Order: sequence, then structure tokens, then C-alpha cells
Amino acid sequence: MSAAWTVFAKEWVDALRDRRTLAVVLLSSVLLGPLVLVALSALVASFESRAERREVVLAGAVHAPTLVNYIARQGFTVKEAPADHEAQLRRAELGDPVLVIPPDFEAALRRAEAPRLVLVSDSANKRAEAGVGRVQRLVTGFNRERGTLALALRGVAAELLEPVRLDERDLANPQTRGTQITAMLPFFVLMAVLYGALNAALDSTAGERERGSLEPLLMNPASPLALVLGKWAAVSAVGLLIAVLSCFSFIPAQWLLQGDALAALFQFGVREALWFVAVIAPFAAALSAVLMAVAIRCRSVKEAQASTAVVVLGVSLLPLFGLLNPGAEERWHFWVPALAQNTLMTRVIKGEALGAEALGVSLLVCALLTLAGVAFVARVLRRAAVR
Amino acid sequence: MIRIEGLAKSFASPRAGLFARRAGVVRAVRDVSFSAADGRITGLLGPNGAGKTTTLRMLAGLIAPDAGMLEVDGIAVAQRPREALAKMGVLSDARGLYPRLTARENILYFAALQGMAREEAQARAEALAQMLECAALLDRRTEGFSQGERMKVALARALVHDPSHIVLDEPTNGLDVLATRALRDALQWLASPAGGGKCIVFSTHIMQEVERLCDEVVVVAHGRTVAQGSVPELRARCGARDFEEAFVRLAYAEEVAS
Repeated sequence: MSAAWTVFAKEWVDALRDRRTLAVVLLSSVLLGPLVLVALSALVASFESRAERREVVLAGAVHAPTLVNYIARQGFTVKEAPADHEAQLRRAELGDPVLVIPPDFEAALRRAEAPRLVLVSDSANKRAEAGVGRVQRLVTGFNRERGTLALALRGVAAELLEPVRLDERDLANPQTRGTQITAMLPFFVLMAVLYGALNAALDSTAGERERGSLEPLLMNPASPLALVLGKWAAVSAVGLLIAVLSCFSFIPAQWLLQGDALAALFQFGVREALWFVAVIAPFAAALSAVLMAVAIRCRSVKEAQASTAVVVLGVSLLPLFGLLNPGAEERWHFWVPALAQNTLMTRVIKGEALGAEALGVSLLVCALLTLAGVAFVARVLRRAAVR
Repeated sequence: MIRIEGLAKSFASPRAGLFARRAGVVRAVRDVSFSAADGRITGLLGPNGAGKTTTLRMLAGLIAPDAGMLEVDGIAVAQRPREALAKMGVLSDARGLYPRLTARENILYFAALQGMAREEAQARAEALAQMLECAALLDRRTEGFSQGERMKVALARALVHDPSHIVLDEPTNGLDVLATRALRDALQWLASPAGGGKCIVFSTHIMQEVERLCDEVVVVAHGRTVAQGSVPELRARCGARDFEEAFVRLAYAEEVAS
């Protein structure tokens, strides 16, 4: 075991001296997460302020004093649309949908000819899309008021128009609502582990072969298993170090969040960061073993980069199951590495309990992968050295 | 004392394509036998592809032989590889260093893997640097070292545990005259009683080195030991005045005859 410790100490120093690679990894995976988070929060804050502004954009407001009167009574201000609003919407310069009113609106309304209004928006323009529902609700409300008035004049009870009442109650607690933005966080942590471990894993396997230092290394009276254990521990430690930095970088990032409502929703403290580390540590160990097992078959680091691309792609794409389908967790998710960690970290952010079964299954999968990877590398190490 | 008897090893030749059949086997070593005594320098001389590197790799326990026996001081490499390795310092064909570590760290890493205490290893590294005249290099990172400097560090790394047997695979490859001369002096001193009377085996394909350095020569060709003896003995056996002529007759006997 002392041989394993010696190898660990050497590989750790060696990896941390690779300053250029470390700097790139830190920039890309530790700094990127908080930056995207802050940028995303700015976007969400602009949605929120738009919702709070209570403005409706009309084209031809002068043709519909009755409608304008209704809208004003609901507490909205009416803005006249610019002449080229269609082009502006398409270019995403205008952030509100436009309600177009025909010139004969008022007269047609009086004759009960059901004049047509057109709601102009662009489904590719996310900010305008967000306002469509609001305008639709206003028009529906206007319709109902006109209808109720007409029926009341004919002596019909208003309740007939509304046989059923609908009240809304939102069950989401503040933390769950915050996850709409924080769903990205686990993804960044997974990337941090991946890119942290990747270089060390390649350098300590394919890199040793390329330099011609594996053969002399094996001529020491240490068992291949001890050598591989030391290397694996060092690679996992480097990956975990980057992951820890990434986890804790979100804590200062939330001080920069725009919008008080959002900052209140996003609760990521030391407790959450520590849970993240606990979830990601076994994954770092398993990923390191798998990367080393793939890379040991390659004669050069360049070849190993091509071979490990499959692993890199898998770790990047599997969490998308969670991102595309939030909340719909299924049991098999916990049997898939990367996806399991993504789901568990999402639970941490939501403030939910992790669940003993989920934790146990993901831990078991990681342990099996680690064992298989380390055993494989130890078995082929000698063969790899001479070929 | 290193003893090798009836050593044989063949490799499956690589496939030409993914679905191609293997073309057959390459018999790298067919029958190599020799012994190298303590306090003597034994040269393993043979043309390229004669099986020298494969033989030395089997001696270091990197590949398992198909047949035959390898012994270091009576310890069979196949049965007790780690004990055998502890008795040997091997400078292999591949002598890569870790570029982000200093020369001293490279040497101390291997010392720790040999199970040496830190202070002992430090003292040994200094002593070896004195002997190989590379003390100034010790605290520089090995990135950008010249061939000669690399070889010195690799040799110090292989000798750090003061092994009684020293095995070198083509040690003068890529070295200039001065570096070669320094290496020669170091090896001669190590084999002398003052240097510890080590058993030294080195492989080469360069005649002059063998003539200048070796007490004993083992000629290997086509994976077989063709002859063993001192330089004058081999010359006398072939009736050649020139050692190069003797070597050609021994090693290329089949080609010369046909």
C-alpha cells in the first residue's frame, strides 16, 4: 500500500503542476457555471419586470374606446404599437405581443357583428410569447363583461354564463420555483468533474505510454494493482477538487443575482454545496476509473482523447434526460451514472430528501464501475507498457 | 549472477485490418542462454531485431517467456518477480522522465517505489549525481533536457536502490562522444571491486563499445545465442584478426554462407 501512496503523491503533484491545463479547466468549468447563472438571472429578471409593468400594446387603439376603457379599468396602461411592429417582433426588438384592432371595431361591436381582433406575436420571440397569455385573458374578460351585460339587459342571471368556477392554488414552495433557473447547476458540476479528471486520467495512462515512462515504472518491485490504485486515487482527487471548487463557486455567484424575488428563491448555501460534493464524490471515482480504462489502451494522449470522446459525450448528454423532462424521475434513472447524480443534485436544490434507495443504487453503480475500471487497468498495464 | 537458459518467446503478429486474420506468429526469441558473472561487464551483442530487447524485458518481468528460465542470484524471475526486481537496476529501451518533475523528484519517486527511506534516498541521489557528473541538473525540471542529460537521470533513477545487478538496454543510443565516455567510466567503476563488483549486462549493436568495455560477449542472432566468450576468445574462434569480422561471421553465418 505504501507504493500506492507514493504513486498518489507523485501523480497529485504532477497534475497540479500542469498549470496551463488546470487554468483552462478552472476557467471553463468553475467560472462558466456562475457566469451562466448570473446571465440567466438577468434574463429572468427582465421577464419579471415586464410582467410587473402591466402594459398592453395595441395597434389602432383609437378605433376601440370601449376596449381601451375596459383594459384601463383592469389596471393596465395602453401603448400604441409602432408602425413596423411585425418586423420588430420578428427581430425580437419588441418584447410585447401586439393586439391589432380593425378601424370599424366600435361600430361592429355595437351592431353585435363580432369584430375580429388579431394578436400578433412571434413564437421564436420568447419575451413576446410570455405576454400572449396576459392579452388573451384581457380579451376573454372583455368578452365576458360584454356578454354578461347583454344578458342582464334581457333579464338572464349572470350565473348561467358561468356554471363552473375555477380557483387556482399554486403548491410549489419557493425553493421548487427557484429550480427553473437552478436546474443547470448539476450539469455544471458534472462537467467540472469530467474535465477535472480527464487530463489527469489521460496523462497518467496514455501519457505514460507516450513518454516511455510506463516501462521503467513497472520495473520497480511494486504490484501493478498498487500503481493503478495510486494513479486512480490521484485522478479522482483532482476531479473532485475541481468539482468542489465548482460547487462552492455558486455561493458567491448568488450575491450577484438580479432581482430580489429571484435571489430569495435561489437558496444555495454551504449545506447544499456539501450535499453536492457528497453526491459527486463517488461519481468522480467511477468516472476516473472508466476514463483510465479507456485511455490505457491508447498509445498517445491524442489517440486517448479520441477514444474518451464517447465517455465525454455520454456524461454531457445523459443529464439532458433530467433537463428536458424535469420532475419526471423514474427508477431506472438512478441506475445510469451521470443521470443519477444529476437527479440527486436536483433533489438537493429543491430541498427534497435524497432517498435511501436512490443514494444506495447510484453508490452501488459507481462502486462497480470503479472496481471494473481499476481491475482492467491493472490487468493490462504490463501489456500496455511493452507495446 | 544472472542466468538465462533456453529462453523463447513468440508474439502474435498484428492484424492487417479489423477483420483480417492474424498473419501468424513472430518468433522474437527462439533459444537464448547465457550467464553473466558478478564483477564483470557482459555485452549482449546482436544485429537489430535479434531479440535483445525482448530478452531484457523478460528478465525485468515485463513479459512472460513461453519457455526457458531466468534467474537473478538464484531467484527465479517467473516465480518471485518482485524480489528479482529489487536486486536489479534496469535502464530499459524506453527511458521517459516526468517532464513536470525535477531530476531529483524523478529519482526520489523511484527510490520510494523501491521502498527506500527519504533521507537514504536523498543521500543516494546526491552520490549518484556526483558519480554521473550531473549534480547541477538535480533541481531543474526535466522538460527540455538533452539526450545525454536524460540518460544520466534515467540511469541514476535505475541505480538509486544500489542494485547488485545492472541491466542496460542500448545505453549509448543517442549519446555524444563525451557522454558515452562518461557512461563507460561509470560502468567500469561499478564493476570494479571499489564500485561494488556489480554484475552488469548491457545490450548493444555497436562493436567498438563491446571491444572497449566488455569482459564477456554474448552474440545473439535470429533469436539464438550464437557464441559466448571474451573478445580475444571470439576473435580466435573465428580466426579473424578484426573483431568486426568475427562478429559478422558469427551473427550473419546463414547470410554469409548462402
